[in-house]
Amino acid sequence: MSKFTRRDMLKTTVGAAVAGPALLAAARSWAQEMKFTPEPGAKLRMLRWKRFVQSEEDAFLALIDAYTQATGVEIRIDSLGFEDLRPKAAVAASVGTGPDIIWNIHADAFLYPDALVDVSDVCNYLGEKYGGWYPIAEEYGIKDGKWIGVPFVMSGNFINYRVSWVQDAGYDGIPDNTTDFLDLMKKLKANGRPGGFALGNASGDGNAWAHWILWSHGGSVIDKDENVVINSPETIASLEYVRELADTFIEGAASWLDGNNNKAFLASDISVTNNGISIYAAALREGMTDISDDMDHAFYPVGPVGKPTEFHVAFPMLTYKHSDFPEAAKSLITWMMEADQYNQFLQGAVGYLTQPLRAFEDHPVWTEDPKRAVFQKASERSLSFAYPGKLGRAATEVFADFVVVNMVAEAATGRKTPQEAAEDAQRRAERYYVL
Amino acid sequence: MAVIGESPGRMPRVTLGARLHNNNNFLGLLFMIPAGIMLLVFLAYPLGLGVWLGLTDVKIGRPGKFIGLGNFRWLAQDSLFWLSVFNTLLYTVVASVIKFGLGLWLALILNKHMPFKAMIRAIVLLPFIVPTVLSAMAFWWIYDAQDSIISFLLIQLGLIDSNIDFLGKANNARASVIAANIWRGIPFVAITLLAGLQTISPTLYEAATIDGATRMQMFRKITFPLLTPIIAVVMTFSVLFTFSDFQLIWVMTRGGPFNATHLMATLAYQRAIVGGSLGEGSAIAVAMIPFLLSAILFSYFGLQRRKWQQGGTDD
Amino acid sequence: MTDRPASTTKNADEGGTDYLETIPYRVVAVYLPLGVFLFVLLFPFYWMTIATFKSNTELLTTEGFAALWIVKFTFENVERLLFQTEYPRWLVNTLFVTFTATFLSLFCAVFAAYAIEKLRYSGARLVGLAIFLAYLVPPSILFIPLATIIFKFGLFDTPFALILTYPTFLIPFCTWLLMGYFRSIPYELEECALVDGATRFQILRKIILPLAVPGLISAGIFAFTLSWNEYLYALVFISSSEVKTAPVGVVTELIEGDVYRWGSLMAGALFGSIPVAFLYSFFVQHYVSSMTGAVKE
Repeated sequence: MSKFTRRDMLKTTVGAAVAGPALLAAARSWAQEMKFTPEPGAKLRMLRWKRFVQSEEDAFLALIDAYTQATGVEIRIDSLGFEDLRPKAAVAASVGTGPDIIWNIHADAFLYPDALVDVSDVCNYLGEKYGGWYPIAEEYGIKDGKWIGVPFVMSGNFINYRVSWVQDAGYDGIPDNTTDFLDLMKKLKANGRPGGFALGNASGDGNAWAHWILWSHGGSVIDKDENVVINSPETIASLEYVRELADTFIEGAASWLDGNNNKAFLASDISVTNNGISIYAAALREGMTDISDDMDHAFYPVGPVGKPTEFHVAFPMLTYKHSDFPEAAKSLITWMMEADQYNQFLQGAVGYLTQPLRAFEDHPVWTEDPKRAVFQKASERSLSFAYPGKLGRAATEVFADFVVVNMVAEAATGRKTPQEAAEDAQRRAERYYVL
Repeated sequence: MAVIGESPGRMPRVTLGARLHNNNNFLGLLFMIPAGIMLLVFLAYPLGLGVWLGLTDVKIGRPGKFIGLGNFRWLAQDSLFWLSVFNTLLYTVVASVIKFGLGLWLALILNKHMPFKAMIRAIVLLPFIVPTVLSAMAFWWIYDAQDSIISFLLIQLGLIDSNIDFLGKANNARASVIAANIWRGIPFVAITLLAGLQTISPTLYEAATIDGATRMQMFRKITFPLLTPIIAVVMTFSVLFTFSDFQLIWVMTRGGPFNATHLMATLAYQRAIVGGSLGEGSAIAVAMIPFLLSAILFSYFGLQRRKWQQGGTDD
Repeated sequence: MTDRPASTTKNADEGGTDYLETIPYRVVAVYLPLGVFLFVLLFPFYWMTIATFKSNTELLTTEGFAALWIVKFTFENVERLLFQTEYPRWLVNTLFVTFTATFLSLFCAVFAAYAIEKLRYSGARLVGLAIFLAYLVPPSILFIPLATIIFKFGLFDTPFALILTYPTFLIPFCTWLLMGYFRSIPYELEECALVDGATRFQILRKIILPLAVPGLISAGIFAFTLSWNEYLYALVFISSSEVKTAPVGVVTELIEGDVYRWGSLMAGALFGSIPVAFLYSFFVQHYVSSMTGAVKE
């Protein structure tokens, strides 16, 4: 293994921020009375997904640096694209080697709960201190009464739209109900400004909108008791809606992966899509003011069920049992989530990432730019993909197999009738639940 | 080396061969040691374990138990699995046949005398050199639903009037990923066959020309038979690598749209690594073995054993 | 070999009858198809090249004809790649891993191929067939059990994790390719040398290898390229940025969630490949000679 030194870390993460004196002082005084004491001589290695935005990584690394200086725990951060975390995490869980902490995506913790350190003490402490966890955070964090991961952040995925084009179509913004939304999309299409939602095997955007539309009409993969109920009249109703909605899409959305709608939106090819804040951030970064000024974000319209049914992406931090320094890992995560630090981090994340603890809801990051406002609610409004059931292995397997995304795509493109698509999804989901 | 030109008599060969036979066994073993160690240490165990996993219900992070053919019974009822088998066969057969045809053609062209020969040969290798993950991204972009340069050019030329939906329709997507695979694979086939062409003695052609043979006859009677062993090797490997292709698909479509481009290797990865069902994923990989084996055996018995040269080695 | 007459070498790879071809025939049969091949094979590179030097905003807009060339030339993407990531270091890592793995594989493969093809020890054919087994489980699954081995040897996060695993998929191919070339070397040559008292090792070194240079080059090019391109093992077995290979590094560093730094990604694809292409152009020249003089009956 390579040596861990602070200099190395700073060297390898180009442009990394170093902790300023104030942060350092805060870290030193925090370290005097920290809740979890790192093992003597502890060293940690963390693997995280590649930052979405530089300022988030800078804030993150500055906090880590301060922690290292205050506690002497050397920390090494490596990053990878979030899709590429999967094989690493799989090796870590099955071979029992790898990073101490993986900052992972979705509910992968439920695939290998036994390989993970119980972090109930950390989460209970943080929950009590910071106004409690949002229910979604508990869903992603707790298995059988134990916290198996710390739900560090959620990443909001909302409707992105071009304000002026929507106005041209006769609406002030994105309507709050699915009926008007369909009407808007039809008008946009008629105006030559179609929208588009990813229909390919896109694990972020594809899942987000497919689950939204399924739930909005009362459909779901499973019910509360884990029976597969996806082949239901509600699902078929949602797919009939999808069928109509998809006619308003730009050509080719069937092939879209997570990155395509960003490109199409920035190229002014589409007027409406669903995405995180990354399109907006890229427009700002590249100085494309014609787009950044003319775009905004909105909640998903509410369907016949009469309540929001949104899907946002969880990014929990998982500590592996093979780690020699679990207490240090707990200590580090606690440090990162204490108010002073977490506030800086949230600021750096400029809306990409949303707090899982209620106390951070009033963070200025949500008000300083009104276009970020909806992202404040990502944790509050998100359901888990197992909704209304509980997350678990079978739910994760169905999710990994793109059952819902495929069903919606097949109905959307008319390859299957809504009935056939729902039947097929039922069969595919049952494979995992009958065990 | 001075004796190269002269063909030795037949007599010493038999006796020499007999005399050295035992010696050869020992030497053979000795010469096999480096490759043997590498393969046995680094491959035998993982390979065995990989096959074994297919017979268990191991999940990532959870040990499993032996369930015999349970995974296969399970997969047999899975329409997505069968779709991936179909896709894989289509992908492999179409891509390999075209790669072979075009690759051989390109090799024959490159075998001619022309200016900048070495440079052209190196340029031809470029698609093979670029890391697949990056060239797949370039193709992903070239095939973009909105900003495809191909659609753009064809529209400008007035040949079509709307964007081609390269990756959004099942058959278009299949054709597109196959085209990308061919693009990547041709250089290797061509250059390897070119090396084979170089070993064919020009005197054979000269003699044939004097005898009044046509180009086609020369190709069929000289080039092709003499090239057969190399063709067999190259195509076997081309088939093997195409069959287990992963990166290209994973970057461009992730198996979509509607799983129309999911190959067995990508489905195995999706089930085993993303979904955590290591046993089931391995079973998909194991299900690939019969196909791979038959490709190998076909090449081995069908093509490999053809006689190569006079005084050939396949006695 | 060494005293081969120069005149034979000169026209060695012309297929012997080129002088009979007329100019129009050559245009139709050679240059036209070659032109089409080159166009198709190189078009994506053209695309990568202009993407490398376009600004990000220009990459996104496809208004008018601007898509086909660069309106505003910029070094921004190249600069990002070379100075804001560790690309140069990744290239060095990749070269180190690639050269070592290639050398190791060729070394193993030469002996194995010679033994199987020329020594023909008992069971050689079976071993030759068994070597193919290496390809039976695709890397997309194989990396999990392989990781166990890497872990047991303590090789995680070192270049040796790659140097020692790449040969597992390189040796079988190289061996088979070399077997093919070795077979084309007449047995008589060896017999003579054996009669003269040469050892097998001397024969391999002095007779077989020089004659099999084109085979060695194609096996080498193959092995080099496959190591150069490999992604999954490099992703899984390496964690530290200092040890990463170029493909993994580039993808990690230049894709931010769903935002692709297209210009720099394409620059990363090009910058690594073009030097290798030059290297190959030097090697493929050797295709021309070596063989022909000897095989002539």
